[in-house]
Amino acid sequence: MPRAERVDGTEAKQTQDNRSLTSKQRFIAALTRQKADRLPVTTHHVMPYFLKKYMNGISNDEFFDLLGLDPIRWLSVFKPDKSAGEYFDPNHVPGYLEAQRVVSDNWRIEHEQVSDPRYETVRYKFITPKKTLTTILQSNDHTTWVSERLVKEKTDIDIIAEFATQPKCDVEEVNRQAAAYGERGMLRGFVNSFDVYGQPGCWQDASVLFGIEDLIMATFEDPEWVHVYLKIIFERKRTYIRSLEGARYDVLELGGGDASSTVISPEILDEFVAPYDAPLIDLAHSAGQRIVYHTCGGMMPFLERLAAMNPDAMETFTPSAMGGDMILAEAKRRIGEKVCMIGGFDQFHYFKDCTTEETRKAVRKCFDEAGRGGGYILCPSDHFFDADVELLKAFADEARRCAY
Amino acid sequence: MNELLESLTRCVERGKVNSKSPYPPDLKGQDGADEFARKAIDAGIPPQEILSNGLIIGMQRVGERFRNKEIFVPDVLMAAKAMAAAMGHLKPFFQSDILKHKGTIVIGTVLGDLHDIGKKLVSMVIEGAGWEVVDLGTDVSPEKFLKAVDEHPGCVVGLSALLTTTMVNMESTVKHVKAKHPNVKVIIGGAPVTEEFALKIGADGYSSDPQGAVEFLNSRCTPN
Repeated sequence: MPRAERVDGTEAKQTQDNRSLTSKQRFIAALTRQKADRLPVTTHHVMPYFLKKYMNGISNDEFFDLLGLDPIRWLSVFKPDKSAGEYFDPNHVPGYLEAQRVVSDNWRIEHEQVSDPRYETVRYKFITPKKTLTTILQSNDHTTWVSERLVKEKTDIDIIAEFATQPKCDVEEVNRQAAAYGERGMLRGFVNSFDVYGQPGCWQDASVLFGIEDLIMATFEDPEWVHVYLKIIFERKRTYIRSLEGARYDVLELGGGDASSTVISPEILDEFVAPYDAPLIDLAHSAGQRIVYHTCGGMMPFLERLAAMNPDAMETFTPSAMGGDMILAEAKRRIGEKVCMIGGFDQFHYFKDCTTEETRKAVRKCFDEAGRGGGYILCPSDHFFDADVELLKAFADEARRCAY
Repeated sequence: MNELLESLTRCVERGKVNSKSPYPPDLKGQDGADEFARKAIDAGIPPQEILSNGLIIGMQRVGERFRNKEIFVPDVLMAAKAMAAAMGHLKPFFQSDILKHKGTIVIGTVLGDLHDIGKKLVSMVIEGAGWEVVDLGTDVSPEKFLKAVDEHPGCVVGLSALLTTTMVNMESTVKHVKAKHPNVKVIIGGAPVTEEFALKIGADGYSSDPQGAVEFLNSRCTPN
């Protein structure tokens, strides 16, 4: 599918003079697999837990400024289709990284606190004319997880297909925020995740709603149902991606950790993941958007397969010391010509309990293995909760010294 | 080897559960582990032989192929399902003491960690090697592990964690267990866990894959 010219012209006016780029230009250079003035360096999500515990609750933007990292702003804004009876959920207060939820009279979402001595526990009800679907989320200081899946019976997906709203992007709001953010850094969004708790990729969303183990078993025992299910999720995301035309995002995330080689097989990737996510990437390109494909966990056996889906970038390249399997130099050799690589840094061992010199050495190693030819953004391999601020500063400072 | 036992081994290796299972496609409509286990019992093959020379061999091959990265998590899940279908026929022999487990392992994902699949995978392969597995689930407190150890004297303890944020909770569990039962062996595993970490927190063993856990149990843990 042909790639539309980006509305902000960043593809065309690629850096002629690399002596002093803005953070945004630096990111764009890497995303288009070019060398910038120096190695772009950033983080994945900056977790509220970390900001509160280690940085006196400063804002996301202040975090980047203080540490001298190339900034990222995450943004997701939906627009209800009033002609389809959609409206913003009046009871929803968006949480971390959440867009204002879009509901309708046939897809109302209510929630109630559930008593649990250990965790904050909330039951969500998706009320439709035919059936009420429920899911339970639990949270602690670090994160939130699903403790009761939304899709409990296979026929529940028919309810989703018939009644779920079809959120679209509020392009005007994205562009207003993009203009305000300017050259400061990268504006990053994600392909719409399922309401309340979901993730960008079709397989990933399906897994979150049904449970990864059950979904894997269903691929063996009832593959036709899995395809119907994925098609329903795919259609919802396709509607959203079509609405992205003209939105000045720098990159949008697709995928998810359950498409890692530490979870699924190449056969499942080929039959149940790529056939749904790859067309979404094509569609995003035709809407003038770039895509970063996210897999946290094993990637090495899947590198070429993931790159063949044609994303602009891939992440997280998690090292084996953190539970992944990444051999960064080999990955660069195998797919570096095709995609920008984001991640690869071992934040567990080099953001705490080590010396600043060890952190700097780890930065240099990533640069030497994946960054020298450009097309690489140094980043922890996924988010982190605990870190020594001095080590973060060393991480940023050393990366800034990695010049082209 | 007996032809029925060879078929049983092959069904576990290939993840062929029963005749109704559409997987693997090339064996569609054919008997699976479920049917071959029944046939083996009806043919008078001793249960211990069915277990040792059929099922355990199949699961051992699965564990080795997984370790060698020849197969992936979904393949092991299907193999374990086939194994479980066959084990259903052997259950009465365990209950009547004709069959005995090699020992017992109390296993769980540590406090604060909700990840189940890795621990389950290890449990399935260990069970397939002839051990009794007491699966405590996920988000298991040190107190709950301790209670399970009290209830299963002579058991081994297996701790799992997927997250770097929760693997630190392995240490408190090891300390808790060892304080009351210094002779109980503890083995740990999980994506971010390393041998170095195992040594640091006083665990007796570490494995990066399920088959390694089986080897640790078979070689270092005295059956109860």
